[in-house]
Amino acid sequence: MNSLQVQPVARKITGIRWLPPRAGNAYTDTDLYFVSGSSAKHKELVLWTTANPDFQPTDDDKDNDDAESSSPLATLVAKVKHDGDVHDIAAPASDIVATASSFGMISIYNIGHTDNGDSSLSLREAVTAHKFANGEPAVATSLSVQPTNSADAEIASCGEDGRISYAPILRLDALQRHEVDSTVITGVCWPMPTQLAIATRAGQVKLFDRRAPAEVQAVFVDPSNTYEFECIAAHPSQSFRLATGTDTGAVLLWDIRNPKKPTMEAFNVHESNVWSVGFHPSDAAKIVSCSEDASLAVTQWVSDSDRQSRGVRHLSGFFNTLSVNCFDVCPFTRTSIIIAGSDSGNLLMEKTAASDFAIY
Amino acid sequence: MARLGTDKFVVEREKEVATRLSPGVFPTGRQSEWSAQNRTLTHSVHPLTSSVALCVAGKQPREQLKTEIRVYEQDQRIYVCGFGTTPDERLSFINDTHAVFSAIQSIMDARETHVGADALLRMSALYREAMLRQVRVLQDARDSEFVRSESDVFQAMHAVWHLLEIVYVTTNSGLSASVVPYYMEWLNFNFPAPAAADGERIIGSSPDSNALAQNPDVWPYVQKLALRGHVTTVANMLERIAPAQVLSAAASRWARELAQTARDMPLASSDETSGSFNARWRRWNSGLQSMATNIGSMLDKADDDALSALAMVVDVMRGDADSISRVGDTWQDVLGAVLLYSEPTAQTERLPALAQLVLEQFESDDFTLVDRTLAALVRHELPEFLVYCNQIDAWLSAHVSDLMQHIGILDSCRRVFKVEPREHYLVFLGERYLTHEGLWRVAMDYFGLCRTRVSQNIMGEYIVRMPLESDRKAQQVLR
Repeated sequence: MNSLQVQPVARKITGIRWLPPRAGNAYTDTDLYFVSGSSAKHKELVLWTTANPDFQPTDDDKDNDDAESSSPLATLVAKVKHDGDVHDIAAPASDIVATASSFGMISIYNIGHTDNGDSSLSLREAVTAHKFANGEPAVATSLSVQPTNSADAEIASCGEDGRISYAPILRLDALQRHEVDSTVITGVCWPMPTQLAIATRAGQVKLFDRRAPAEVQAVFVDPSNTYEFECIAAHPSQSFRLATGTDTGAVLLWDIRNPKKPTMEAFNVHESNVWSVGFHPSDAAKIVSCSEDASLAVTQWVSDSDRQSRGVRHLSGFFNTLSVNCFDVCPFTRTSIIIAGSDSGNLLMEKTAASDFAIY
Repeated sequence: MARLGTDKFVVEREKEVATRLSPGVFPTGRQSEWSAQNRTLTHSVHPLTSSVALCVAGKQPREQLKTEIRVYEQDQRIYVCGFGTTPDERLSFINDTHAVFSAIQSIMDARETHVGADALLRMSALYREAMLRQVRVLQDARDSEFVRSESDVFQAMHAVWHLLEIVYVTTNSGLSASVVPYYMEWLNFNFPAPAAADGERIIGSSPDSNALAQNPDVWPYVQKLALRGHVTTVANMLERIAPAQVLSAAASRWARELAQTARDMPLASSDETSGSFNARWRRWNSGLQSMATNIGSMLDKADDDALSALAMVVDVMRGDADSISRVGDTWQDVLGAVLLYSEPTAQTERLPALAQLVLEQFESDDFTLVDRTLAALVRHELPEFLVYCNQIDAWLSAHVSDLMQHIGILDSCRRVFKVEPREHYLVFLGERYLTHEGLWRVAMDYFGLCRTRVSQNIMGEYIVRMPLESDRKAQQVLR
């Protein structure tokens, strides 16, 4: 198992997201920014900065279990109180982040940078997107931004009330809600700009057309197993591929080209609930996942013609013994950087990609 | 806490904590008037955390009152008070030591018997690193009474843990049979003396050897250096002083001789037998004895302040108990010098007898809590030691008792305590962690890894009362 670098931050981190580059499409910034959200006693949103490894000397890839390195992994730049626990974060632009909270709210925060290098986080607007029939707030469990370059892109959320909601990022008051399930919806993603996919506690993946969101397009289950799904992610370019994380530690890879007969392959990479899953942004042949078992996993899956290249690489830290709740892979650098947050009050980071995998 | 099954000491009751409600429920001094108007306080204790909610209540329902009572804003407030909470400043330390604690239990599971000494030494070192990290973090924090208090606690914990490691882990691991070099390292790391700043000040204010020799602070400083075993620095100082023309020829000569003798002090090495080392030591010590005799005969003939001071240094280094007691400020100092200069190959078993002789020279009423704890440890009075650890900090007693269990020395405490000590302290620590909203998992781990029926029952009681704020938390609690 490879070691993660660990920075204690004394916060239970439950959401984390890289910010798009400030300089434009080409990432030439020497500093990278990401946002983390925390829960429990300290409900906060924090803006961090870390050095871009593409501009740094390459570190030797060595196992280092020491929680204290010579310099911090990331530096706190700004923070703001958050209303409720942060359950998910989306970063549609370098100066906007959206959060999903335990009070069922979707909030938009502005990020400001001044000429003298100061930065700020401030709440722009918030809307209650999820509540139970009796009016009690329901946890908003996940967020996803519509994959379109339009300025009016929508943000979709799902919650414990069995609803999905959509709103343009710039106009949250135009929020629409649709009841689509009777159980907790644990994850939402956009395989296409006009299609949504959700994962449910009942072990179902459901597809919706954005233009007719009240109607379910397709439902997928694995009849041979009673999985509960914790998260879902869409392939960045192949809209028919989805990945879901389960309560048993498996990562399922779906091929839904034939909605009546989807194919599914299970990778048993973790020992406990998989809280988040995603396709690696620069190498979609890898699926990254994090789990209650205090580890991250990078699973190499390839098409059936090349099974010999499959493998899984586990990442953990000696001083991180509790659940890894969230992660994000930076899509803007040549060097692969994974950041993650855990219940142990740690920021976790892996900056260099290893080239060898254990045979899966 | 209840009186334990021994009359040697009484466990002090936990300090009572008073919290003044602000703003108050009634004007100062008017409690009787307030109470006469059908008012009292009612409270409810949180089932998990150490917090209390309280508010004003009526002694009788309002409907039963004959006259109308005016309701004030204070009557409609709810106060939530927390006590015995875990401060945020400790979160990183708690997380790191939780990881080490979990690792030790895993190692024990894998081996099915007592954990090996090497593994314990590694884990013990990780605990100490975590304590030292916390001390550094507190030193960088903004100064406040809380920060100073926490810093004192962690420095005390490190001193206690470090000595425990030396007495029961390091010297039992086969690396070295003698406890002396480790004790001196412990003493100079945790209770550094004399202060380096003092030496710099003395040297800085003395431009030449004459000024240095006449500096009133130099000889007490050299004596303290000798007491602590800093023999190289002693030699350097004496070589600076020796050329002084204000010194007598005898003082100058013996200063040079003592500097060379200090440099020749035998040091034990792993590839030398104890017999060979003892022979070298006896030769070296006999050189100091004859030096003392010669200096003494010169002092009989004429007074020489510098020579007298030099004689004290020689007496300390030859292991003279009276001189060591005169120069030493604390019992830790004196014990160290006695070990270093009288019994350089002493093993751990000699500590209780030597410590008792040294401790009798000091007034135990003046001892701090840390002194008592360390004294109990060196005298191998483990039940007393454990109780004092708990008075320093709940973290210390919990992890010390766990370490003692793995070393195999907790049985002596079981005969004294009415409860299983490791279970008692681990559960107590877990309950402390439950006072912090973000530490419930860590608390459950401590209950679970305690691995007794009582701790499992307690975990079960707390689990069913755990607030389930989200579906994800429910999944974690169920697991």
